[in-house]
Amino acid sequence: MAEEPVIKTVNLTKRYGDFTALDHLNIHLERGQILGFIGPNGAGKTTTIKILVGLSRPTEGSASITGIDCTTHTRKIKRLVGYMPDVFGAYDNMRVREYLDFFGAAFGIDRKSRLQRINECLEIAGASHMADLYVESLSHGMKQRVAIARILLHDPPVLILDEPANGLDPTARVEMRELLLKLAAQGKTLIVTSHILPELSRICNVVAMMTHGKLRAFGPLDEIMKEIQTRRIIEMQLLSEDDVTATQELLKEQGDWIDGVTPSPTEGTLRFTTTANDAKLSVLLAKLTAAQIRVAQFRELQQDLEDAFMTVTRQTAESAKP
Amino acid sequence: MSNPIITRECVGQLRKPAALWMQILWMLALAAMVILRWPHSNRVDLSGDQAREVLAIFGWTLLAGFMVIVPAFPAASVVTEKRSGTLALLLNSPLSPWQIFIGKFVGSIGFPLLLLAISLPEAVACYVMGGVSIIHQIIPVYLLLLVVAIEATAVGLYISTRCQSVDAALRLTYAIIFAIFVVTLIPAKFVPQSAPPAVGHILRIIASISPIPVLQGLIATGRVSGKAADIQHFLVTAALVIVICSGLTMRRLGQRIFDRPRDSGKITDERSSQVRAYRRFMYLWFFDPQRREKLTGRFANPVMVKEFRASRFGRSSWMARLVGICLVLSMGLMLATAYGSMQASGHLMGGLMVVLQIAIIVLITPSLAAGLISSEIQNGSWRLLQMTPLSAVSIVTGKLLAVIRTLLLLLLATMPGYLVQLLISPQQSHRIFQVLITLLLTTMLCVVGTTAISSMCRKTASATAIAYALILALFGGTLLVWLGRGSLFSPGAVSMALRLNPLAAALGVMHMPGFAHLNVIQWNWGFMVALIILSLIVLTARTSQLTKAR
Repeated sequence: MAEEPVIKTVNLTKRYGDFTALDHLNIHLERGQILGFIGPNGAGKTTTIKILVGLSRPTEGSASITGIDCTTHTRKIKRLVGYMPDVFGAYDNMRVREYLDFFGAAFGIDRKSRLQRINECLEIAGASHMADLYVESLSHGMKQRVAIARILLHDPPVLILDEPANGLDPTARVEMRELLLKLAAQGKTLIVTSHILPELSRICNVVAMMTHGKLRAFGPLDEIMKEIQTRRIIEMQLLSEDDVTATQELLKEQGDWIDGVTPSPTEGTLRFTTTANDAKLSVLLAKLTAAQIRVAQFRELQQDLEDAFMTVTRQTAESAKP
Repeated sequence: MSNPIITRECVGQLRKPAALWMQILWMLALAAMVILRWPHSNRVDLSGDQAREVLAIFGWTLLAGFMVIVPAFPAASVVTEKRSGTLALLLNSPLSPWQIFIGKFVGSIGFPLLLLAISLPEAVACYVMGGVSIIHQIIPVYLLLLVVAIEATAVGLYISTRCQSVDAALRLTYAIIFAIFVVTLIPAKFVPQSAPPAVGHILRIIASISPIPVLQGLIATGRVSGKAADIQHFLVTAALVIVICSGLTMRRLGQRIFDRPRDSGKITDERSSQVRAYRRFMYLWFFDPQRREKLTGRFANPVMVKEFRASRFGRSSWMARLVGICLVLSMGLMLATAYGSMQASGHLMGGLMVVLQIAIIVLITPSLAAGLISSEIQNGSWRLLQMTPLSAVSIVTGKLLAVIRTLLLLLLATMPGYLVQLLISPQQSHRIFQVLITLLLTTMLCVVGTTAISSMCRKTASATAIAYALILALFGGTLLVWLGRGSLFSPGAVSMALRLNPLAAALGVMHMPGFAHLNVIQWNWGFMVALIILSLIVLTARTSQLTKAR
């Protein structure tokens, strides 16, 4: 029998009057998976997260974590989820250990084991040296680490992190990435939102792309990339400016299977997008050679998550046009 | 030359709906006073007494209103920008510290001056009633209020550059303004007749730091020359305060404001054995601000413990200082009580004890409780509280207990004065018991009421200003009615107004001169209990709404 998903939403919808913030969202996540939640501002990511953590009620549909309904059992959900919002929420005049002690006590962690748990969480988050510092005096990166320690305190199976890498320096970003992978390896299920897509593509194994409250793509990262990559980007390195001009002319004669031709004469390069397969491209290359155009390189550019996201966003914008 | 900060500050303030409501309420309150005393019959008051009474109430209301309203704007001004990060942008612009200061100064004082302008028709009405001099009374009163506003703004702006949070800035500014305007008057009231003339002279100079004697003189005599020395002293000290605070503020608005090292997280437990022993001895261990706090106890409300730790006055080191100040004040009054009993003025001393205690409650509570919920909403930590399994009742209880415990500790420090009174005349036990119940209910009312206001506001500065305005309206506003007794207000109206005032009720119990025949204590208790229940309902409902999923 298949294991029940840790996180599951069924036709999850949230409307504010006439405005639909979230439109029939269906996603599911297994234990140990990291979901990269991608979308432009106002796409519905935060609305989804708020429903999942019990801070907002859906208008329609349902959301559950380990089989427990997020709307009707908000208290239980709070124990199952560690939520790190994009705002740190510091208390003045409190040291890091006291800050974590408060949240530990609020989650009902026994006093005897609380100190040990605080030290463990600080250790996991790489923040042990900050224990006696005042929270308000911490840098952004340090606060992010303390926030991670905070959400780990009650040992929840699900962690939801809103922009965890935002504002971090490169070293801290790499460390944050390693930390999240370590947590997933421990069996925690993570939802991570970020606008730094190359960063996200290196940690998440499942991706959900949203625009205008609708889920545009969902699934394992490699499958999404294949699904979205219906258009290929080809780049040619040519030997002179004349070759670039001649190639541009030749491409125009090929018909509508080539578009988005972008020449860069000073660099001697030219890019275009196409739906053609390898066989058709080899014919094109032969034509270029026959026309005495000196082609030094002819290669397909690898698309990353950012390109895939831009493709989805563009498609949505085009479909929205009257 | 145009200053963009002035435009931004003034437009920003006037754009808020609250600003419009404040102007309307202010205008209605002042107009009501004049309408109440406007001659209704065809008789003309040739003596001008009515107009002078109206001017007196009008002047005191303006001064009290300014004491409450003016400090809130400058105190929040710089620190809010500092916390939101926009101050760094301002300092990074080509604007000089002088321009930033002027922008902030004019922006902060603009709205209070608008309120002053709104009051002009009422002042003209006083003049039209006859018997009030426009040159010797109305214009000097307005000039005095202008100086008061400038002084409070200069102090508030400087404090705002020094503090790290809006709550702390508001608390400290109100405390300093209260000290300048009110506390300076106290020593002169207790000069023994046997004291050397030089001491009396110095204390009178200290008293002239406050604008209150000047206003009193202008309203009572209507002669500026009669109080020339007082006015001169006041103007000189006010000018000094304005110049010093403005200079320091401009100095801070250079690079100094961000020139602050990061806390090194020193803890006594991890220092050398000599330092540890020294600090434990000097701070009696418990009061060491660098000692490592114990974990929250099993049965303790975590929100209450968090509130103690997050508030500076919740820390034992600061609490000890506050309790110490209260003890000194109480002992001073105790001495005065003993001294007063020999001169048959025990009632006066008992009354002063009550005034001291209610002043502590009224002045400290809004600064402690106004940020309980609003500051959490403002800095985003409310969402973290929402994510814990704590119920709304548990959050409210923790927050209320934190403030109530602090206030009760402070009140307990002032209790020895009553013990001396009991020793002198044991038959007063029933009265003292009634006063203690009144103090307890007053504490509850101020704490619960302010927290309820805090739950309705999104900004601590607004919550603090509203709480101070309402509490001072209850405690001070009703006393203004008492000031106009016999002439401006009928005995029935005065009695009704004083029923609402716990201070007046307690002073009646203590047979304080002026309140000796007032017997409204039980009515007042009923009123306070009703308000406490109402505030609790509002607070619980609002907190419950804030914690639930929407």
